[in-house]
Amino acid sequence: MTTMKTDPDERSLYRFLSEYGAELLGSGASCIRLEKNISRIARHYGRDTEIVIMPRHIHITVWSPGHDDAFTAISSISRKGISFNINTLLSRLSWHIADNKIDFEQSVKCFKRIISDRHQNPWAVLLAVSAANASFCRLFGGDISAMLIVAFATAVGYYIKQFTLRHKVDLRVVFLICSFVSAVLGSTGILFDIGSTPRIALATSILYLVPGIPFINSFSDMLYKYYICALGRLADALVLTACLSAGLCAAMLLMNISMF
Amino acid sequence: MIEKIIEDALFAAIAAVGFASISKPPKRAYIYCAAIAAAGHSLRYILINYFSVGIVISSLIASFTIGLLAVFMSPRAKMPAETCLFPSLLPMIPGIYAYKAFAGLAMCMIRHDKAAFDTYFYLFAENAIITTSVILMLVIGATIPIFAFNKISFRATR
Repeated sequence: MTTMKTDPDERSLYRFLSEYGAELLGSGASCIRLEKNISRIARHYGRDTEIVIMPRHIHITVWSPGHDDAFTAISSISRKGISFNINTLLSRLSWHIADNKIDFEQSVKCFKRIISDRHQNPWAVLLAVSAANASFCRLFGGDISAMLIVAFATAVGYYIKQFTLRHKVDLRVVFLICSFVSAVLGSTGILFDIGSTPRIALATSILYLVPGIPFINSFSDMLYKYYICALGRLADALVLTACLSAGLCAAMLLMNISMF
Repeated sequence: MIEKIIEDALFAAIAAVGFASISKPPKRAYIYCAAIAAAGHSLRYILINYFSVGIVISSLIASFTIGLLAVFMSPRAKMPAETCLFPSLLPMIPGIYAYKAFAGLAMCMIRHDKAAFDTYFYLFAENAIITTSVILMLVIGATIPIFAFNKISFRATR
């Protein structure tokens, strides 16, 4: 399907680019992808862009076709959580626009549809995360009883995470509570002397909380020289890791188990 | 030996799929994540256990392999390389080292006698350095193929 290229009005274009950037970065895209996608869309409409990415905001400056005028739009980065599905669909949308497959109005509609679809079966995710953490326990040398303890500790912890996030509890508090609960449940192997690797069960019971994607994104941004955004993402990941460590330490203190 | 490697690949695949599901990938990404993570993690397992390579260097080699696989699979899957790549790296994130570093730091704040402080500071520094260097190597290894095959990586969703 090929449509005629129709020029959108200036303000709608700036607003679209700005919202697109905020959603793409919020869904866990790296800075380099954001810059490439935005400039791809802008170039299609004959504009050049300059982008400043701050930890919580994006400034997008769009030059008019003759480079005699520029507008800057600032928007807050979406905080709805990482979604690689949205990242993929928004990247595809940028190519559809660049290849002239859809006009501006259709693009805006498509964009709204993409960002509003965040549905995911929470029970399926809970099951997958529990199986994943139990497998992780196996990778660290845990036996079958350790795997079962980890699966249970993860399932309960992750259920609490889903429940508290639905009720808009602060993410740091959520990490603290979940790691505490999972670690207390993970230490049952040590308390009741179950299996031969109870310490591995405890050590891996909270690993589902480690913010892997923010860590990877942060280092990836650093390699591409987006230092400010990289440090912002690193700080987010470190704070969450500190929270989960604090929850774990509190649980070990309660259960009278030493970490080292 | 072969059973151990297959077991490592299998559990790494389950771990990658489960941890990937937290970051909401497209449905068809799961199969790619599972395959790529299984290949990468088992390669690291072989390097560490049979060739006595350290965790940092083996992570670099494994993530480079993961990066190559992700870059060449992403146009077929019509997904950005990161969608297959980042979740596949998750089973190799050194989570235990990361929280042990914080626990060491917390103990340094509590214990001030020299012997205990030295021990805990050593544990903090050792774990923090391993965490940082492993994640750095994972990202560098995985990013080199994206850099090298720039055209493929950023046109995958076209």
